[in-house]
Amino acid sequence: MIEVNNLNFSYTKNPFIEDMNFIVQSGEIFGFLGPSGAGKSTIQKILTGLITTYKGNVKVNNIEVKRHDSSFYENIGVDFEFPSLYEKLTSRENMVFFSSLYKKRQDIDTLLESVGLLKDADKKVSDFSKGMKSRLNFIKALVHDPQLLFLDEPTAGLDPSNSRRMKDIILQQKAMGKTILLTTHNMYDATELCDHVAFIADGKLRALDTPRNLIMSRGAAKVSYTYMCNGKEVRNEALLNSIGNDNMLQKLMQENKLLSIHSSEPTLNDIFVELTGRALQ
Amino acid sequence: MRTKSLLIGDIRFQFKYGFYFLYAVFTILYIAILYMLPGRWREQAAIIMIFTDPAAMGLFFMGAIILFEKGERVLNSIAISPVKPYEYVISKLTSIAIISTAAAVLIGLGGRVISNYIYFILGVFLGSCLFSCIGIILAVNIKTLNQFIVATIPAEIIISLPAIAWLFGFKPLWLILHPGVCVIELCQNGENAFLAMFILAFWTFFAAVYAWRKVRKSFKSLGGIKL
Ligand SMILES: Nc1ncnc2c1ncn2[C@@H]1O[C@H](COP(=O)(O)OP(=O)(O)O)[C@@H](O)[C@H]1O
Ligand SMILES: [Mg+2]
Repeated sequence: MIEVNNLNFSYTKNPFIEDMNFIVQSGEIFGFLGPSGAGKSTIQKILTGLITTYKGNVKVNNIEVKRHDSSFYENIGVDFEFPSLYEKLTSRENMVFFSSLYKKRQDIDTLLESVGLLKDADKKVSDFSKGMKSRLNFIKALVHDPQLLFLDEPTAGLDPSNSRRMKDIILQQKAMGKTILLTTHNMYDATELCDHVAFIADGKLRALDTPRNLIMSRGAAKVSYTYMCNGKEVRNEALLNSIGNDNMLQKLMQENKLLSIHSSEPTLNDIFVELTGRALQ
Repeated sequence: MRTKSLLIGDIRFQFKYGFYFLYAVFTILYIAILYMLPGRWREQAAIIMIFTDPAAMGLFFMGAIILFEKGERVLNSIAISPVKPYEYVISKLTSIAIISTAAAVLIGLGGRVISNYIYFILGVFLGSCLFSCIGIILAVNIKTLNQFIVATIPAEIIISLPAIAWLFGFKPLWLILHPGVCVIELCQNGENAFLAMFILAFWTFFAAVYAWRKVRKSFKSLGGIKL
């Protein structure tokens, strides 16, 4: 579906994206995870044809993006990081206009309903909250039922319940066979949604694997527990895969003296810090 | 088909953003003024109004529309849709030309200055398209309304001055090569109207091609790279 070979690009004279390579399979959710300024939106702009001065090969649906014609966009949906809507038109008017530009069209009320905006269909976008605008911006990318979706930070700035709703729609689109590329700086969203995650820092691709493999590749899961000792609470840690060798823990368990116990896997953020030396937020 | 969708969108946009209201206000105001003017001034006043209001204001409105679309990032949404740059330009030109021509005809009727409807409508319609092209050409490289206003001043002077001179009797034949003069000549159904029609069509075509190239380039620069 997407093939990137030896991609090089920079806004300035200094190198930025260098020798980037990756493949996105049809039907998967592929995520770019990285802190702000890492180059996630830049990669997305290259993949969607908004930056054409790159070097190397970028093939989307077997078309070299640099040489796309306008029919390239009949099958691609793009949700930008920032709202790109007519502010003085209502949400329905925006949807009607943008859907009128494509050959294939979806029912607009169904789309509005899916993100809880049907009751605000006749409100002007300028009266919308930030979260409402991002939801509308998101379904605007779906008006022509595209096979390939590019979502730039689809959950950023949403409250938990709307973020949940958005993630459910993304998963629903995947279940319908769509291929989805998304960018995020939220490790939980990346872990939950993505089949493959690419770590991006300073314009470089630092790791690429399934979230599970990334997490398992480094540091084993740990168990931490607390108990009382001489009137003070003490905290201890043991590796999950050698927990049987921890005599203290054995003893505490037999005497029913444990105050608390829990296991913790490393998060994508831990792995990200380890591999790139940078934190996500 | 897609151009028609764009055109409907543009007209709705212009309506919602108050452009139709402005045109209505100006048209009514101008007609009222024409009725109050003494008869011997009426024709020239009407022609100036027709020239500056529907025809030349298009330049300004068109720039404002492009700046709105840039500011609200709608241009990005259009650039990742199947819309071709020439469809975008044609829709923009037509949408403003329709309302400009309607307003001009009303003012023309109010001032009783239309003697040849075909020349009159052609003159205003083509003139509006030409001035809109200049608005597009100026606006695509500009970010703020203030910068745009400054950039339009020399453009408006170059367009209007020879045309006004012609209207008040400064009529060397070579001046008919000027597109603003052509608009006046066509609206007045002057001796050289037939020639003016071709010259104006040529200028309009030339400007439209240039505007199309600018828009194509700006669609490709939306990612932040100046081409
Ligand atoms: N239009 C532009 N011109 C110059 N530099 C830019 C432009 N857009 C982004 N950048 C720079 O490129 C880097 C990557 O930006 P971006 O791709 O937006 O990061 P992300 O989406 O990961 O937050 C940043 O350092 C940013 O300042
Ligand atoms: Mg970004």
